[in-house]
Amino acid sequence: MRKGIWQEFDGYQDIVEEIKVSRKLGGTIAPAMINAEEYIRQLHPDRLELCVNGIIEETPSTKTLRFVSKDNYLPPFLAGQYIALYLEVGGIRTSRPYSISSPPNQTGYYDITVKRVEQGLVSNYLLDHVNRGDDLVSSGPQGNFYFNPIIHKSTKICIAGGSGITPFMSMIREIVDCGLDRTVHLFYGNKTDEDVIFHEELTNIAKRFDNITYLPVIEDPTDDYSGACGFVTSNLIRELLGDIEDKSFFICGPQGLYEFCLPELEEMGIARRKVRQEMYGAPLNIWEYPGWPEAVNKDDIFSVKLRDGRQLEARAAEPLMVTLEKNNVVVPSLCRSGECSMCRVKILSGKVFQPAAVPVRKSDKQFGYVHSCVSYPIEDLEILI
Amino acid sequence: MERYDAVVIGAGNGGLTAAATLAKKGVNVLLLERHNIPGGCATSFCRGRFEFEVALHQLSGLGTPEKPGLLRMELDKLGVMENLEFVELSDLYHVATPKGFRITLKTDRSENIAMLQEKFPHEKDAIDRYFDLMASYANDMIGAFIFRDPEPSREKYPYLYKYALRNSKEILDEYFSDPLLKAILSVYWGYLGVPPTRLAFAYLAMIFFQYMEFKPYHIKGGSQALSNAILNKFISDGGTARFSCGAKKIVVKNGRVKSVVTDNNDEIITEYVVSNASQVTTYTQLIDPEYVPESVSVEIKGRNLSTSAFTMFIGFDCEPEELGITESTNFLMDSTDISDAILDRMQNLNIQDELMVLSCYDIADADFSPPGTCQANVVTLKYGEPWLRIPPRQYHDVKFRCAESMLKRVEQIYPDAKKHIEEIEVGTPLTHMRYLGHPFGAIYGYEMLTKDSLFFQPGPYSPIQGLFLAGGWAGDNGFEPTLRSGISAAKSIIRRLGVK
Ligand SMILES: Cc1cc2nc3c(=O)[nH]c(=O)nc-3n(C[C@H](O)[C@H](O)[C@H](O)COP(=O)(O)OP(=O)(O)OC[C@H]3O[C@@H](n4cnc5c(N)ncnc54)[C@H](O)[C@@H]3O)c2cc1C
Ligand SMILES: Cc1cc2nc3c(=O)[nH]c(=O)nc-3n(C[C@H](O)[C@H](O)[C@H](O)COP(=O)(O)OP(=O)(O)OC[C@H]3O[C@@H](n4cnc5c(N)ncnc54)[C@H](O)[C@@H]3O)c2cc1C
Ligand code: FES
Repeated sequence: MRKGIWQEFDGYQDIVEEIKVSRKLGGTIAPAMINAEEYIRQLHPDRLELCVNGIIEETPSTKTLRFVSKDNYLPPFLAGQYIALYLEVGGIRTSRPYSISSPPNQTGYYDITVKRVEQGLVSNYLLDHVNRGDDLVSSGPQGNFYFNPIIHKSTKICIAGGSGITPFMSMIREIVDCGLDRTVHLFYGNKTDEDVIFHEELTNIAKRFDNITYLPVIEDPTDDYSGACGFVTSNLIRELLGDIEDKSFFICGPQGLYEFCLPELEEMGIARRKVRQEMYGAPLNIWEYPGWPEAVNKDDIFSVKLRDGRQLEARAAEPLMVTLEKNNVVVPSLCRSGECSMCRVKILSGKVFQPAAVPVRKSDKQFGYVHSCVSYPIEDLEILI
Repeated sequence: MERYDAVVIGAGNGGLTAAATLAKKGVNVLLLERHNIPGGCATSFCRGRFEFEVALHQLSGLGTPEKPGLLRMELDKLGVMENLEFVELSDLYHVATPKGFRITLKTDRSENIAMLQEKFPHEKDAIDRYFDLMASYANDMIGAFIFRDPEPSREKYPYLYKYALRNSKEILDEYFSDPLLKAILSVYWGYLGVPPTRLAFAYLAMIFFQYMEFKPYHIKGGSQALSNAILNKFISDGGTARFSCGAKKIVVKNGRVKSVVTDNNDEIITEYVVSNASQVTTYTQLIDPEYVPESVSVEIKGRNLSTSAFTMFIGFDCEPEELGITESTNFLMDSTDISDAILDRMQNLNIQDELMVLSCYDIADADFSPPGTCQANVVTLKYGEPWLRIPPRQYHDVKFRCAESMLKRVEQIYPDAKKHIEEIEVGTPLTHMRYLGHPFGAIYGYEMLTKDSLFFQPGPYSPIQGLFLAGGWAGDNGFEPTLRSGISAAKSIIRRLGVK
């Protein structure tokens, strides 16, 4: 075909003129792009350089670490969101998510509140080896466990267990600090009265503000404890609140809390859309999960072959991601709960066990991708990262 | 130092097809993508029990197996079709106004004419003539450009010569007087990003004609399925892909590509680069200014950035019928104004009467969401620049405020919508900036103004030897054009490499 027949089209000359003018008058985009990048960095930084500015003993097993930013800027977040800390412990480069317990209106620092996990790698390190003045690196704020004014009711029923109190602390502090028109009924379950984090602060807030109520519930109380005992049950909620219509439910805590409370809420006839639950990390006793193959023992060892030829040893009960980290293979991670898909890897051959509820994209399933933070080897594997 | 025959930067549609086409020919290719997943716009994400589609509303250019469109032929050649399942959408679109006006345009020409004439009897003749015009224009266009007539002329292709560069509103005004009818026939401006006043009739006529001729499609598993399928082909053909690893620099020496430096500071020696990053990023950030030819800087200066989008992803805990959603593609129309006033609305940081499209994939694909649920993807176009003026701490407030107004608009048409929301996520122009890395979150590359249309701009070629551009910044936008642009960039490299 002849080149440039459009030069003969009606109106061609006008457009040529327009191009001339716009080339003359058009601006340079480069500075605007740099501004835009800086803006995005302020909203969603990839990494934050933090410094421990204070450590607060909350309970015998829990401390709050207060972080300031090394460049004096902390991005905004929604109460309930978490940051992932990236660190090296015992030669292993790894990460852990922690909810921010300070409120969003506190722009000078982020608090995270860490509870000791028996034999836990990072919690023990943070509690025993991190000191004021130490530097740490984290992700920007992440997560979907927050109050969404579009769909959530202004009255929230919050159920927390153990360290699961942290996102609620941020929410409650924001409500009372900023005088938000929201009501929170907090049920907070713990093993013993000694474990209750933020008890004094919560008691005081509940006394001073009509829109916050607080009920600690203790599983194994000491003899002189006079409060509510046992678990957070549907009866307890009904007793205290009566009407549960027009309320949103938020729940955050260890696996056991969900296993107990979700059926309770269902029993109360609460629609799924009214219940928001935070993630709780990888399942602990994966071999007890429905669907775990009987033939595989939790201590079985499988081989994991990488594309570069390396061959690793993996224990069935350990998430693939942990195996990789222990061998210095870094996979990007954020939530470590199967939700964010940052850690997806492709299984070229062999099988892993991944709980059915893990939200994996349909086509990722089709092409063999798994979320390595919640995938457990049950055969010898070959993977592509 | 590592060495590859070619490096592809970015795994959007254009980057993926470029990489796969090269690998298929045995070219040793490295694909770099900043994110942890392929697709760029063509992706999805999960919330609760929903998997939300990000970009694809209606796939164009596929055609049926019996009457394949160009896209189907290309995907077939690439060898990815066996892993994909497409669902034909029975409607072009549904238009709903808050006053209760409803119309559904089908993919059949005579059905559409009849339907429109029934609703707009006073425009009966004009409707006939307008559909004739679209068909005549399309025939001319295909004759001259698709079949590459060696001797085109005004006599052979009168419609092409007369109408191609004229703006769509002018033509609609010439044919019709009813503002609602004009607005209904021009809703696809939303897929192209510029209002009818600025949109060449060439584009409006062709998009309408194409969807009628080759039918709109949905992909099972969403656009991520397509991205994954192409990546899978690339890998099985021996390609190397690195995710969560962007390109930081394209090193140029003596006017030729020399190497690419990654975010991890690895330098990769290569003679050929396909950049699926925006043209602006490629020339202002990836290549040092002293190596950018003057002609390129002048060209970029004269171009406008396209709009970005404000999108709401909603998961409902009921079937679509319960909400009153009966069609896949629904334009919610509050105003019939198709003047330049649209541009002002696109600049505003609120949502009032703008045109929006609500796609419900579950209508055509019952497996799309879990049983007893459905989802909607609601979009309106917004320029990105004003969003950068929001103080970061107020960003979430503005986002929620806009989402609330958008939801009110949805409720006007589907009154029970709010009651059934289980999951909701909102994407703003800043979200697009963050995930695509494009300036101002532009989703359609450069603005599709007539002056920026394919007739006037350089396309995939660069004066820097060995550098090619693929994707929405190198030509037309949308899935079909961007997928095809990667293939043609790859073919240029294959020719230069002399690969058989
Ligand atoms: C969104 C989110 C928010 C969170 N917020 C908080 C918070 O605010 N405060 C808080 O304290 N925690 C929080 N967590 C939990 C936190 O991320 C860590 O999981 C917790 O601190 C334990 O980490 P660890 O490294 O100490 O334990 P890990 O080393 O990860 O061990 C976890 C468990 O696995 C067991 N285990 C350890 N090694 C092995 C092994 N080799 N094989 C099998 N089992 C093993 C341990 O005994 C322990 O029970 C949050 C988690 C999520 C997902
Ligand atoms: C909301 C929305 C709705 C849409 N609806 C439709 C529709 O219904 N029909 C239709 O046909 N089209 C639609 N589109 C348009 C279509 O999605 C796009 O035109 C097309 O996907 C763009 O493809 P691309 O090749 O330009 O790559 P993009 O999708 O723009 O991807 C570019 C990729 O390059 C990567 N990248 C950028 N810089 C670097 C770097 N330095 N290093 C490494 N990687 C980098 C990015 O991370 C990204 O993955 C829609 C788009 C959006 C956003
Ligand atoms: S780190 Fe989020 S899914 Fe694995």
